[in-house]
Amino acid sequence: MKKIEAIIQPFKLEPVKEALKTIGIDGMTITEVRGHGRQKGHKEVYRGQEYNVDLLPKMKLELVVADARLDEVLRALTSAARTGKIGDGKVFVYDVAEAIRIRNDDRGEAAL
Amino acid sequence: MMIAEKQLSDPLRALEERTAAVDALVLKSWAQHLSKAASGGAALLAVGGYGRRQLFPYSDVDLLLLFASDRAAGGLKDAISGFLQQLWDAGLRVSHSVRTPAECSELHDSNIELNISLLDQRYLTGDAGVYGSLVQRLPRFVHGQRDSLTRHLSRMTRERHARFNDTFYHLEPDVKEAPGGLRDLQLLAWLTQIATTQPTALAPPAPITELNESRAFLFKLRGYLHHHAKRDSNVLSFDAQEWVAEQLSLAEPAELMRAYFRNARVIDRSALRVLETEEARASSLFAQFRDRRSRISNTDFTVSRERVYLRAPQQIEAEPEVLLRLLQFVARHGFRLSLEAEERIAAQTPAARKYFTPSRPLWPAIGEALSLPYAALALRVAHETGVLTLLFPEMEDIDCLVIRDFYHRYTVDEHTLVAIQTLAQLRAAKDSPGTSYAGLLSEIEQLGVLVFALLFHDVGKGSPEEGHVEASLRIADRAMERIQMPLAERTTAAFLIRCHLEMSTAMSSRDPDDPATTQYLAHKVGTVENLKYLTLVTYADISAVNPTAMTSWRAEQLWQLYLRTYNELTRELDAERIQHAGSPERDAFLEGFPIRYLRTHSDGDIARHMQLEMDSRARGVAADIARSNGSYRLTLVTADRPFLFASIAGTLSSFGMNILKAEAFANRRGTVLDTFSFSDPVRTLELNPSEVDRLKSTVERAVLGRVDVKQLLRSRPKVTPPSRKARIQPSVYMDNHASRSATLIQVVTEDRPGLLYDIASTISSRGASIDVVLIDTEAHKAIDVFYVTAGGEKLTVDKQRELEQALSGLLRG
Repeated sequence: MKKIEAIIQPFKLEPVKEALKTIGIDGMTITEVRGHGRQKGHKEVYRGQEYNVDLLPKMKLELVVADARLDEVLRALTSAARTGKIGDGKVFVYDVAEAIRIRNDDRGEAAL
Repeated sequence: MMIAEKQLSDPLRALEERTAAVDALVLKSWAQHLSKAASGGAALLAVGGYGRRQLFPYSDVDLLLLFASDRAAGGLKDAISGFLQQLWDAGLRVSHSVRTPAECSELHDSNIELNISLLDQRYLTGDAGVYGSLVQRLPRFVHGQRDSLTRHLSRMTRERHARFNDTFYHLEPDVKEAPGGLRDLQLLAWLTQIATTQPTALAPPAPITELNESRAFLFKLRGYLHHHAKRDSNVLSFDAQEWVAEQLSLAEPAELMRAYFRNARVIDRSALRVLETEEARASSLFAQFRDRRSRISNTDFTVSRERVYLRAPQQIEAEPEVLLRLLQFVARHGFRLSLEAEERIAAQTPAARKYFTPSRPLWPAIGEALSLPYAALALRVAHETGVLTLLFPEMEDIDCLVIRDFYHRYTVDEHTLVAIQTLAQLRAAKDSPGTSYAGLLSEIEQLGVLVFALLFHDVGKGSPEEGHVEASLRIADRAMERIQMPLAERTTAAFLIRCHLEMSTAMSSRDPDDPATTQYLAHKVGTVENLKYLTLVTYADISAVNPTAMTSWRAEQLWQLYLRTYNELTRELDAERIQHAGSPERDAFLEGFPIRYLRTHSDGDIARHMQLEMDSRARGVAADIARSNGSYRLTLVTADRPFLFASIAGTLSSFGMNILKAEAFANRRGTVLDTFSFSDPVRTLELNPSEVDRLKSTVERAVLGRVDVKQLLRSRPKVTPPSRKARIQPSVYMDNHASRSATLIQVVTEDRPGLLYDIASTISSRGASIDVVLIDTEAHKAIDVFYVTAGGEKLTVDKQRELEQALSGLLRG
C-alpha cells in the first residue's frame, strides 16, 4: 500500500476529486494548508501599503491506495491538478506498513 | 413496530407503559439481590427521566440507591453488583449512584446534575425510613438553595445552548439537547418546581400546559428516533427525517422539519424568557444597568427589564407604521420585545397586513433600521413575531426551509439571519483578517442596502423550480418595487443578489494567479464600491454556512481575491475608453471618457451631465450641487485647463467642506466632468441654504480664474493636527506600469483641509495633467490616486523623480 500526499492549488480540488472519482477513488482526507515552494509568494500593494503574501493558500490531499493502483491514481491526480505554471504543487508517495478499518478490524488492502 | 404504533397514537402512554415494564424488572432484581441484605437501611429510587415516568425506548435507567450511612452501603458491594448485573443482562442500560440522605441534601457544585435529578425522584422500594429522611431534608435543601440551584441550572443551559450556537435551526437537530428541545422543556418544569417548593414539601413537577402540544410532538419524535437508531440517539439526521416522515405518512421530510422548527421555536422562546427573568432577578448589578437603560424610553415605547413595551398597544391597528418605528427602536438600542408586546403584535397582524400589502414608500424607514447597529437583532425579532413576513411576505418561502446540503448547518432563514449577524460581529473584530473586513464595513455608505441584499440573497431557495439566484433576484425585485426603493439602491441590491456567488466560485474554481480571474471579477463588479459590498456579502454568506466554514485560511483567500480585484479595478481606470455611446449627441459628450463612467452613472445622471455641458457652452462652466445620503455632490463641466482640479478642491476647502471622494473625466474634445462628494462638518449649507448658491458661483468663478483660490484658503482657520502618535506616515508611490497610458501616483497621508488642493496644485505646477482621480478618506487618512500624463504621455523617469520629491516635500510640510 502507498500513501499519496498531494499539495495542490485550492481551485483544483474539485477537478482532482472528480478525476479520482472517475477511476473509483472516493476516500481521501483534505486539509486547508498554507505554504510555498519555489513559487515563493508575492507582493500586493493596497492603499500605499505593501502586503507580503509569502505563505499561499493550498489544499493537502491524503489518500492510501493499493500498490497496483498507484500509477493510475498518480496519473489521474497530476493531470487534473496541472496548469503548467509555477505553484501547481507537489505529490509525495510513502510506503504504508498497515491499514486497519476500526469498525470491523479489516486489515491491509481490504481496509482501504 | 408495535411500540412505534403506540408511539404514534399516544406517546405519553407509551412512555408510562415502558416505565412500568422497567419498574417490574427493577423490583424483581431488588427482591432477589438486595431486599434481604439491605433490609432496614436502604431504599431504591428512580431519578431523572425514569423518575418522571418518561422512559424512552433506549434511554438510560437512572437509579439512586439510598443508604442510611456509607458503612451500610460498604458491606453490600457484591449484592449491589448482582442487582445491577441482572438488569444489564435484561437489556437495560443502567446508570446508578449510591448516596446517603445527607449527601443528597447538600449542594454539589461540581455535580449539580445530581441535585437536579433528585427533583424527579420517585420511590420504588426499600426502607421507608431512609426514604422518609430524604423526604424530610430535600424540600428544606431545595428551598434554602433555590438561588444557587437556579443559577447553576441557568449557567448549564446557557453552556448547552452555546454548544449549538444558540439556535435551534439546525438541519440535523438534536431533539433533546439543542435549544427548543426536550431538555429545555424540563428546564421550565424544574425552575417552576424550585421556585414553588416550600421548606416542608417539595413542589410537584410542573409541566407548562401551554407547551403540551409541543411536548407531545417532541416525545413522539424522540420515541421514533430511538426505534430508528436502536439506541439512545436523539439526532434527527437526514436518514431519520426520511424514516420518520414515512412513518407519519408525510409527503416529504421538509414537512416534518417545519413542524419540528415550529414546536422548537415555541419552547425556545419560553425557555429564553424564563432564563432571562431568572438571570435578571439574580443580579443586582444587572438591575442597576436595567434601570439606567430604561431612560431611553420614548413616546411610542418604554423599556423595562431590558424589554420593549408598546405605550399604546391598540395603536398598531390605527397606525401600523409604529411597527417600522419598533424595528428601528430595536435596531438602535438592541432590546428584545416583552411578551406583552409580542402578543399584541400577533393579535393585530391581520389589520397591519392590509396596510403593508399595497405599494408604499417604506424604504426610508426600513433602510434606516437595516443600517443601525442592532439590525441583525431587529430582523430576528421581526422574524420571530411575524413582522418580517408582514413587511416581506416573500420571506414565508424560506421560513424553516431545509435544503439538504453536506456543508450547510442551518435552515435557509437562519442562514440568512446568521449572515447578517456576522456583519454586526465584524465590528468587534480584533485580529487580522477580521479587522480588514471590519475596515471595509466602515467604508460602506449604504449599509441598509447591503443588509437588504443579504436578507434576500437566498430567498429564491424556496422556489426549487428555478435557479435560486434568478429566483432570489425576481422575488427581491418585487419587494423593492413594493417598498419603493430608489433606483440607485435597487441597482446595488440587485447586483449583490445576482453576483453573491461570484467571489466564492472564483475562490474555489478559478486560478487566482491568472490575470483573467481578476479581470473577470473586475468586469463583473465594475466599481471599487461594488467590490467592497460584494466582498462583505461573500464573507457573511460563507460564515453563515456553518460555524467553522469561515476559517482564517478562507478569510485570507477571500481577502487576497479582494486585493487583486481592487488593484485590477484601480489600474484599469483609464485603460478602457468609451468609443460609442448610442447616439451622436451622447457620442459627442461621452467619447473618450473611461468605461468606468458608464458603470458608475445611470441614464438619468448622463442626461443631467449632458445638460450641464449644454449650459457650460455659454458661460464656459456649469456646476450643480445636490444633496444625497447625508453628504453633498458637486458636478461641474468645463473645458480642460491647468489647475482646474486644484481650483475646485481649494474652493470647497475654503468653505470648510471636507472632500470625501472626487473623480475627474475628460472626453476626446477636451471637455472635463469633475464630481466631488463632500461633507459639511459644521452644517454651513444646511443652516444657510443661500450658501449653496454662493459656493456654486464661487467654484465657477474659481474655475474661470476670476477668484484667487490661494486667497480664499488663507482666510480659513488653521486646524490643529492630531497628536504625533496618531499621525499617519505620508507616502508617495509612483507606478508607470499600472496603466497603459498614464503614470499612477498614489498618495497616502494625514487628511487636512486644503490637502487635495495642495497635491493637485503641485502636480499641475510641474506641467502634468490629471486624467483620472480617485480620492478616498478613511477617518483622518487620505488615500488619493491620480492618473497623470505630461504632453499626452506617461511621465518620464526624471519627471517622476521631480514630482515625487515635490509631493514628499509638500506632505512633510
